[in-house]
Amino acid sequence: MATMKHIRLLCVFLGLTACTGSESRSGANGGTLAISTGGDPDVLIPSLVQTVQAGQMTDMIYDRLADIGDSLNILNDAGFTPRLADHWTWSPDSLSIAFHIDPRAKWHDGQRVTSSDVRFTFESTMDSTLGTPVAALIGNIDSVTTPDSATATFWFHRHIPQEFYDATFQMPIIPEHIWKGIPPATWRASDAAKHPIGSGRFRFVRWTPRTAVELTADTGNYHGAPKLGRVVWSIAPDFNTALTRFLTGETDFFEALRAENIPEVAKHPELRTKSYRGLSYQFAQFNLRDPANHARPHAIFGDRNLRRAITMAVDRAAIVRSAYDSLALPAIGPTVRAYPTTDANLAQIPFDLPRAKSLLDSLGWRDANGDGVRERRGRPLEFTLAVPATSKVRVRMAVLIQEQLRQAGVKVNVEQLDFPVLAERERKRNFDAVLNSWSTQPSPGAVRGSWGTAGSRAASGNNYGSYESPTFDAYVDSALASFDPATRKSYFTKAYDTIIQDAPAIWLAEPMPTVGYNARLKMAPLRSDAWWAHIPEWSIPADKRIPRDNAPVGAPATPAAPSGQKSP
Amino acid sequence: MPGQIRESAVTSAARPRESAFALGLRRLLAKRSSRVALVILGVIVLAGLLAPFVAPYDPAAQPDIVALKNLPPSLAHPFGTDPYSRDVLSRVIYGARLSLTIGLLATLVSLTLGVAYGAIAGYSGGFVDGIMMRVLDAFLAIPRLLLLLGILVAWPQLSVGALILFLGATGWFGLSRIVRGQVLALKHAEFVTAAQALGASRRRILVRHLLPNLISPIVVAATLGVAHVIVLEAGLSYLGIGVPQPLASWGNIIQDGADQVATLWWMSLFPGLFMVLTVMTLNILGEAFRDAYDRR
Amino acid sequence: MLRYFARRLGQAAIIVAFVATISFALIHVAPGDPFSAVLDNPNVSETVRQTLRAQYGLDKPLPEQFARYIGQVAKGDLGWSFSHDRPVIEVLGSALPNTLLLMGIALFGSFSLGILFALVQVARRGTATDHALSGLTLFLISMPDFWLGILALLAFTYWLPIFPVGGAVDPVMHEYMGLGARFADRLRHLVLPALTLTVLAAGTVARYQRAALLDVLPADYIRTARLKGLTEREILRRHALRNALLPIISLIGLSLPALLTGAFFIEKIFAWPGMGLAVVNAIATRDYPLVVGGVIIGSIMVTLGSLLADLLYAWADPRVRGH
Repeated sequence: MATMKHIRLLCVFLGLTACTGSESRSGANGGTLAISTGGDPDVLIPSLVQTVQAGQMTDMIYDRLADIGDSLNILNDAGFTPRLADHWTWSPDSLSIAFHIDPRAKWHDGQRVTSSDVRFTFESTMDSTLGTPVAALIGNIDSVTTPDSATATFWFHRHIPQEFYDATFQMPIIPEHIWKGIPPATWRASDAAKHPIGSGRFRFVRWTPRTAVELTADTGNYHGAPKLGRVVWSIAPDFNTALTRFLTGETDFFEALRAENIPEVAKHPELRTKSYRGLSYQFAQFNLRDPANHARPHAIFGDRNLRRAITMAVDRAAIVRSAYDSLALPAIGPTVRAYPTTDANLAQIPFDLPRAKSLLDSLGWRDANGDGVRERRGRPLEFTLAVPATSKVRVRMAVLIQEQLRQAGVKVNVEQLDFPVLAERERKRNFDAVLNSWSTQPSPGAVRGSWGTAGSRAASGNNYGSYESPTFDAYVDSALASFDPATRKSYFTKAYDTIIQDAPAIWLAEPMPTVGYNARLKMAPLRSDAWWAHIPEWSIPADKRIPRDNAPVGAPATPAAPSGQKSP
Repeated sequence: MPGQIRESAVTSAARPRESAFALGLRRLLAKRSSRVALVILGVIVLAGLLAPFVAPYDPAAQPDIVALKNLPPSLAHPFGTDPYSRDVLSRVIYGARLSLTIGLLATLVSLTLGVAYGAIAGYSGGFVDGIMMRVLDAFLAIPRLLLLLGILVAWPQLSVGALILFLGATGWFGLSRIVRGQVLALKHAEFVTAAQALGASRRRILVRHLLPNLISPIVVAATLGVAHVIVLEAGLSYLGIGVPQPLASWGNIIQDGADQVATLWWMSLFPGLFMVLTVMTLNILGEAFRDAYDRR
Repeated sequence: MLRYFARRLGQAAIIVAFVATISFALIHVAPGDPFSAVLDNPNVSETVRQTLRAQYGLDKPLPEQFARYIGQVAKGDLGWSFSHDRPVIEVLGSALPNTLLLMGIALFGSFSLGILFALVQVARRGTATDHALSGLTLFLISMPDFWLGILALLAFTYWLPIFPVGGAVDPVMHEYMGLGARFADRLRHLVLPALTLTVLAAGTVARYQRAALLDVLPADYIRTARLKGLTEREILRRHALRNALLPIISLIGLSLPALLTGAFFIEKIFAWPGMGLAVVNAIATRDYPLVVGGVIIGSIMVTLGSLLADLLYAWADPRVRGH
């Protein structure tokens, strides 16, 4: 370890005697997993989490009633394994499920987990003053009752294939005794949020903003202690710093390798890479409505044929190759290949520049004044493509599209916006086009919110481009209501065919997430929706230990400052 | 950190016998270092001016986004290619054009504002002068970069024209102080009083004598100013709030490769070298100008 | 002396008031309402929104908003940072010590180095050493801060990885270290950014000091010293340096803006958790109050610094003391 060696060198140089502190203190535990990450978590309350970092941490700290299997089968309960609930019973009409809480389950503060914690979690999620997007996803759950302290019964409005998934996946259970007295509107800023208490196999130790978040093994956990002693997220302010910390061995794991980093990782014999099937897709989304007046169609993108022509002018395969090398496939629509309901051979609008040009000609968009940009009735064929400045890959794809469309006589202004600003514009539907990305959930049903009419009309809906097609909606609804996998797939295929031909977006890339890890780690399989899901099963063999593995389990022995966040 | 700190020590008003500018220029050219600097700067300026003829490729063209991206320096691409398969040498040449233009135009804005403000303050004197100088003190107390950050975060997505205006509008404070000093000195200079006694109008004298006396501080301020603006623009582009795609400026090219500095080192190194070279020559010339005029 | 002090202090206060006015103007001249993004954001809690409205009096007429704003700045209240979800003054206040540490080291280092360069140059006037050092210092003052930062980062963390890549401490291990190890850990993280900033600032000092030394060298008393039989080196050390040190004091004040600007870039590149990093990152998140707060605090630092330098100068130079 270059890092430790260097500390020692400096110690010799400075003649310091107390330098050996960390090395002399050895404890018998499973070692430390240090993860490089690019930012702080936003909030450590499961229902409010929006950043991927916070998702990783809360998944370690809190438990769900049951865990989804690696195959991400969401139909009924076949793919699920018991977690906080040790077993469950379906009612004969399948309109309710009674979950039995594992009697050994305890919160990290020692209190027992009871059914009323489950009810409290559901009710607080539905509380509008908390304002969580999860509420919209579990609308089919009517209520949760508690016949006894060990049983929580979920009641559903309709019997649908994914009701078990809705009840378990969306809601990690939080402790009622901690949160009960605090108004949900103030949870985010509360002290309790700074020291989360859960029932998961890791417990919270500290969150030093812009530096690190540390969890430690819950050695007395009802599911057994995890194999690792500690998990620390080393927070770097930018991609390069995070990557370099991984390359130099300061951390063991980096989740977001890009194609150009692979050769660098290969130069280090102790480092490995691993790709897995992801659940995200990226696309250039058109606004079909006039940004200034949503009642009117967009002056350019309101026209389906024009959208098709523009799609035709973009060489998606080349863009994906250029931006990702082999670490992504061209996207095939508003979906990902990992879903069992997705047909990977969906018909696409092909790349055909000459045809795109003649199509634009026939639509009346011609370059009469010879400036290289087409125009119609005095309006140039020009639009702004917004892209989050923090995502270098997406910026790259935007500049590539800019040049390709220039060749078709379309002028694109790339506008790099920062994420919160971009999100705000999307929410207000105030944009021409945006280079967007969706990280989807294990259920393909999320497409209802992101591309369906409901998601367009509701102010909080995610269908920012206002694509509205009754045909598409009907196919999606039929698919989600069917229990037979083959029928589901065929309905989804029809839905995807419809939207692809309507071209409300240019489907760009389906990234293949690639992680880098130190060979000293023994990892478990990486789950598509959450590579971190099996961290409690990861381990570091005794002969691969380095000094940082020997830090004792629990909080630091002599904290310089009170651990955790000191903000109000 | 270009050395703008030292304000030029301007000699008190002197009667312009022969053109002060010509005299300074002659002294300047007598120095070998300034001649070398002039030649280097001339080459860079010429390359920028003739960019369409000198650059081997179209700076915005993406000839093959898969096969030709991220190529290290080679004979076909002496400075390598960027992630869009664009030729970095061509972009550096076009970058010279844009960076120098921005530097020059922004400095022109600064000079205009600086001379006008300083002249008004100095000419008015008294209360108005006092207020104007206190305002100037406040502006001088805000580091220029911070002032620009404050402005640019309020007006995101600026066009190049607006960027030039803002760069210019934040660069005149030092000069206007010098100009005011000159005007004040002139007001009380003996020869002015004498000329007045001979019946010449005070205003006419000021205008006639002001300009020649201001030429030296203006030339110095302009030379150093252009250097400073080039560095500032590059810094802002590096922070992502400067020149937009697909235009190329030196800072912008560095920013394009900033997320992969270790692998795409040619994207930081070459534009950076050109920038340092340009700024160095401008600093040499600026200091030489100052020495030439100070010795008078 | 006391009167002088009071007058300069008054001037400084006026400058800060002007800076606050300029900041207020910046916020209000901006196209659109800079707060609308926050006020309309469903993820911002109602309490924060109310605090904001109350704080900025957004519904009040402009003059009243202005009076309120100035009053708050005077009390040290710079508003609420959206991206940190904390008061701006707290965000900047907790980052300030790191920036001051960086700038302090760089100030001390660059002046030592710069004066040393100048002495060597003047002692060997016209030699190859003098020319070489002149070239070097010219190179340094022409170097964009961020470019040298990038080069230093490349050289010493990627190619020759002897320094950690960023931050002020080892995020994973620092809390588990003993006292000595913690100190060493901090030092290890500090070296590269501090050194880079030092080198960047040294060029200006050297050039300035060299000119100052050359200015005093032909002075009468030095001629006298020479007649007394002192060697060139002794003259330099005993007389010229002492007299040329006076302008150095004012250079301290003058060099602060450049040093602060340099610190902003260096902090960004080396992820040094100071004020610069906070402000630069706030640009990315359009955290308006934090950026403007940074402008105000930065200007106050510069104003106070030059005030201090002026007082020091007055104390050192009796000619000023008399005025």
